[in-house]
Amino acid sequence: MVNSYIAESLEEALRIRTEKTVVPYGGGTDLMIEAPDDVSYLFLGKIPEMKNITQDAKYIRIGAGCTFTEIIESSLVPDILKDAAAGVGGPAIRNLGTVGGNVGNGSPKADCALIFFATDSKLRLMSAGHERILPIKDFYLGRKQIDLRSDELIVEILMPRSGYENYYYKKIGARNAQAISRVSFAAIMSVSDGRINNCATAFGSVSDVIIRRNDIDAMMTGKTIAEASSVRDAYLAAFDEAIVPISGRISAEYRKAVCMNLLRDFLDKNGI
Amino acid sequence: MIFTLNGKEVDYKGSLNARLLDVLRDEYRLTGVKCGCKEGECGSCSVIMDGLLINSCMVALGRAEGSTIVTIEGYSGMKRFAVLEKAYASVSAVQCGFCIPGMILASECILAKNPHPTEDEIRLGISGNLCRCTGYNSIVNAIRIAAEEGDGLW
Repeated sequence: MVNSYIAESLEEALRIRTEKTVVPYGGGTDLMIEAPDDVSYLFLGKIPEMKNITQDAKYIRIGAGCTFTEIIESSLVPDILKDAAAGVGGPAIRNLGTVGGNVGNGSPKADCALIFFATDSKLRLMSAGHERILPIKDFYLGRKQIDLRSDELIVEILMPRSGYENYYYKKIGARNAQAISRVSFAAIMSVSDGRINNCATAFGSVSDVIIRRNDIDAMMTGKTIAEASSVRDAYLAAFDEAIVPISGRISAEYRKAVCMNLLRDFLDKNGI
Repeated sequence: MIFTLNGKEVDYKGSLNARLLDVLRDEYRLTGVKCGCKEGECGSCSVIMDGLLINSCMVALGRAEGSTIVTIEGYSGMKRFAVLEKAYASVSAVQCGFCIPGMILASECILAKNPHPTEDEIRLGISGNLCRCTGYNSIVNAIRIAAEEGDGLW
């Protein structure tokens, strides 16, 4: 007989996570597709500490247990994340599925994880008596491989508070609702005093892990729009080399072509 | 494990891993909850949990503890249902009927949130409920009619 557990508080959840071998269960919308009989779940839906959306001096702090609907309805959450949350599944999926699950699933197709990459967000991981703050990029180790220890839980996502008012987001799917992305792309172009202080891009559903190449985006940093235009070709060429898509239901060639089209469109829209 | 089902408190003794859809159909014989895909794609198993539309195939019982769940069987006793039923019938929004229990509950959730939705809001609200017969226009129409006819109920 397999035992599953319902935790009423974070403390209780972390204790169970330490003592037992359990699969953290947030909204369940990914887990219930497979739903093997012999799995032991740790139900996290009742933990108040994981349901908050707050902000401090540096971050918007999003509880891992917040559903996509709660993200969309929050006054603190920036539009770039709301757009991605609104593209997940349909209303009934958004009412159950959580951002923590979206990240913890480890999929390069995860809609909200893409935004956390583009915004260089961090994850707050906790175990009993210990916590780690990890850049999201370091959390993903490979296809469905995440840096989450067997006694840890994803408790919060920390999004830098501002700097992405000028963003670009597109999810390419077979239809609007109930679609898994074929390619997704999020980008930010932040300009102040005539110079680019942050150009950030992230490509989802393309490779084993969401592609975020800060080193290539840095080619734009500190430049005026005119100067950025002069490095446009080199920038595109660098991404053309960096993006190595995998083939799945759709071909690598298609994914590559769409990625580059989206990247060009992002630059065009910013006059670069 | 205790939850409220169609207004009555029930004490479920089975596994916390059981799928809500299966428990509703097999244990409580609420067969208005349809099983279409078992992967959150079709919406035919939709029920209302704590006021929100959810797919019952996507819920393990442990997630439902303490929740209030309404299926089409419970909802069909309400005045709001009568308005929706009449509106759906008036424009032939039901053909084979398989999606309709979920579609009616999705309609309720649209109107509960916004008693006078725009067409786009209606379409968004049913975007997780697939219908292979009607082409959706008659359903959208029915929800619009229900919003007018049921003015004050939502």
